[in-house]
Amino acid sequence: MKRCKFDEFIDDYLMNKLKNEEKNKFEEHYFHCQHCFEKMLARYELLRLIKTKGQTIFYEEERGKNRKEAFFIEKITSFLTPKQWAFTTSLVILGIILCLSAGLLLKKPQPQFFLDKEDIVRGESIILISPVKNVKTIPSQFMWKKMRENVEYKISLYLNQELIWTAITKETTLPLSEEVKNLIQADQKYSWQVKAFSPQGTLIAVSSKTQFKIASIE
Amino acid sequence: MKERLVLKEIIVRYKPIISFRVRRAIGYLNPDWEDVVNEIITNVIEKIKKDEFRGESSIGTFIYIISSRRIADYIRQKRKVLKHIPEPKSFLEPSEEFENKEKTEIMTKILKKLKPKYKKVLYLYYYKGLSRKEVAQELGISPRRVSERVDYAQKLLKQLLIKK
Repeated sequence: MKRCKFDEFIDDYLMNKLKNEEKNKFEEHYFHCQHCFEKMLARYELLRLIKTKGQTIFYEEERGKNRKEAFFIEKITSFLTPKQWAFTTSLVILGIILCLSAGLLLKKPQPQFFLDKEDIVRGESIILISPVKNVKTIPSQFMWKKMRENVEYKISLYLNQELIWTAITKETTLPLSEEVKNLIQADQKYSWQVKAFSPQGTLIAVSSKTQFKIASIE
Repeated sequence: MKERLVLKEIIVRYKPIISFRVRRAIGYLNPDWEDVVNEIITNVIEKIKKDEFRGESSIGTFIYIISSRRIADYIRQKRKVLKHIPEPKSFLEPSEEFENKEKTEIMTKILKKLKPKYKKVLYLYYYKGLSRKEVAQELGISPRRVSERVDYAQKLLKQLLIKK
């Protein structure tokens, strides 16, 4: 039978391997080419038989393939005894766990780009004047050194590190109100801190926390 | 009379081709295939009688185009109507089934007993679905040799089938 240039398309067409354009071309072709159409019919019959009865027809070939795979697996697994395999696997798992743990431990801490609440801004600092040490009586006012013009100061009073009172002023002294005086007791550890803010509300300086104690209450 | 002969020739020549095309497109076991084929043939005959086939393309192309259009219409209609109806399993006539079954058994036996070099090609190419190039690499032969072995296996199968 003489060959046609579309001969090579027959199997791919029947097995749906042709692209759409090639498929349409070939479909139109076999409306003209008796050779291709007859060959395609015969191939179709053979292909249908193989697809439906392939397991029976190729039983030996399939068994041979499975045997090859089983042989390969057997060859690998017989390299070590089961006990040795178990031991090796345990070692590998342990190694992975150790590596991961080491990795976590050696991990450098992330650099901090934002201040925590307790962090102090370096640079300018506010000097506290009074009270700065133990006093005999309740102080009448808090006093600190002036920084510059147009600064707002926030004063915070702590009892054993716990904030008990806060106030804001533009002066460098703040008289204690009766309300605050009532909070203060003898023999208790108090501390106070001043923060300075610009007119825009930016923190520009912080004083250290200074402790004081009252000897007696009048 | 002459025209009737020509039309008859066209039907005889193109009906198997149209049938194959239709069954492949709408499903080999779809019972509607015969109706669709008949509609296409009727359409072709009408158009030829009305002189709608002017010979600008070949008769094959003319029939191919009519077939493609009818198949597309059928698929479009079916998609709308039969969305939820399951596909029927088999509509072969009992006598056809028997004939096919007997032929299938004979062909299966023949293929099982094929020489290994031909059987292996069929196994890899058709059963496993490898490409011609992959089969060639696997067997250490050229892709052309693969095609030749497939052709030969087919020829052998045909000869042995006739003998049986």
